Amino acid sequence: MFEFRFFEIYRSKQYLDLILDGVLVTGSLTIFSSIMAFLMAIFIAALRYWRIPVLGKFLATYVEFIRNTPLIVQLFFFAFGLPALLSYIWPFWCHALLALTVNFSGYFSAILYSGFLKIPRGQIEAAKSIGLKNLVIFKHVILPQTLHAMYPALCSQFIFVFLTTGVISEIGVVDLTHAGLFIDSRTFRSFEIFIVLTALYVFMALSFKFFLNLIFLKKLKPKY
Amino acid sequence: MQDTFAEIFGRPEGVIFWQLIAATRFTIFLSLIAFSGGGLLAAFVCFARVSPSVVATKLAIGYIWLFQSIPLLMVLFLVGLGIPRFLGIDISPWSAATFSLIIFTSAYLAEVWRGAFEAIPTGQWEGGYALGLKFSKIFFTIICPQAYRLALGPTVGFLVQIIKGTSLAYIIGFQDLMLLGKRWANAPVLGSEPYLIFPIMALLYFCLCFPLSCLARHLERKQSDY
Repeated sequence: MFEFRFFEIYRSKQYLDLILDGVLVTGSLTIFSSIMAFLMAIFIAALRYWRIPVLGKFLATYVEFIRNTPLIVQLFFFAFGLPALLSYIWPFWCHALLALTVNFSGYFSAILYSGFLKIPRGQIEAAKSIGLKNLVIFKHVILPQTLHAMYPALCSQFIFVFLTTGVISEIGVVDLTHAGLFIDSRTFRSFEIFIVLTALYVFMALSFKFFLNLIFLKKLKPKY
Repeated sequence: MQDTFAEIFGRPEGVIFWQLIAATRFTIFLSLIAFSGGGLLAAFVCFARVSPSVVATKLAIGYIWLFQSIPLLMVLFLVGLGIPRFLGIDISPWSAATFSLIIFTSAYLAEVWRGAFEAIPTGQWEGGYALGLKFSKIFFTIICPQAYRLALGPTVGFLVQIIKGTSLAYIIGFQDLMLLGKRWANAPVLGSEPYLIFPIMALLYFCLCFPLSCLARHLERKQSDY
C-alpha cells in the first residue's frame, strides 16, 4: 500500500517541462529582484548613513517595517492591495518581482547600514584630510570594506529569502511551488512531488551558495 | 469587545478589525509552541553538536544542514499534505503546523546556540578538564551560564523569524491572522478592500515583531559592552 510512485512524475514530459520552467522562473525572479534590491539597498543605507534629515528617518522606518512583517503579507499587499488602490493591471510576476525587491532591499540595507557604522571613524577622517569628496570616500573607502565584511551576512540572507520565495505561487506566479501544486492536483502523489520539490530547492540553494562563493573569491577578496 | 470596536470604527471595519485582533492570538500560540518545542529539540541537537562523540556531532551537523536548507513551505506541504496522503492518515492543520515550525525552529536555534558555545574560549573547557570534571558537568555548570548571555540576543531575534514563519501555516489551512485576513480581503464586502486589510495585518504583525526586534538589539548591544 505504501509505495513510491515517482515514475508518475518523471514519465510525463508535460510535468518535467513544468518543473523546469518553475526552476527557471523561481531562479530568475530571485536573482533579478535581489540585484535590483542590492542597488536599492546601497542607496537606502547611504542615505541613512549620511543622516539626511527627513528622508533618513523615513527610510529607517521603512526598513524596520519591511523587516518586521512577513513576506507573504507584503506580497499580498503589492499584488492585490496596491493595484486595487491605484487601479493598474500588471502580470503576476511583476507583482512578485516588486514584492521580492522591496523585501530584499529592507534586509540588505539593514545589513549594509550596520556595516557602514562599523567602519572606523579614523578612515573617513584620513580620507577627508587628503581632500576626498564625500561620494569618493563612500565609493572607494566605505563601500568596498563593508561589502567585504558583510558578504557572508548578505549571502545567508539571500539564501533565507530564496527559501521563502515559494509563497509567490500564492498569487499565481508559475514558479517551482506552483508547478508542484499543479502536478499534485493532477496525480495526487503529494508526498513524492514535494520530495522532488524539496530536493530541487536544496539543489538551487546549494548552487546559489557555490556561485556566491565564486563571486567572493573572484571579485571581493582583498588583493594584498 | 466586538461591539465596542464596531462603535468606534463603524461597521464593518470595526468588526473586521476586532476579528483580526482575535485571530492574532492563534499566531501567538503557534509561535510560542514552536519556540518552546523547537527550543527543547534545539537543546538536544546543540548538545549533540558540541559533545565529544563524533557520531553525535556528525548527526547534529546533518540535521542542522538539512533543515536549514529545506524551505519551511516544503516542510509544511510534506507534513500537511504529503504524509497524510502517503500513509492514508489524517493530520490536523494544528499538528502539521506545529510539527513543521518546531523542526524549522530547532535547526536554526541549534545553530545560533552552537555559535554561542563556540564563542566561549577553549581555556574554559581545558580548565574544567584540568580540575577533573566530566563533560556534562563542565557543560552545564561552566559553559552554559556563559553561553546563555551570548545567545540571549540572537534567540530573541529569531523569535521574530518564527512569528513571520507562522504566516505560512495558513497554506495548509491553519486558522490564524493570515488566513482570516486573506478571507476578509477576498470577501466582496464594502470596507474590506485588500488595500485596507493587508496594511492592518502588516501592522498587527509589526506590533508583535517590532518590540522583540528592539529587545534583541538592546540585548546584543548590552552583550557587546562587557
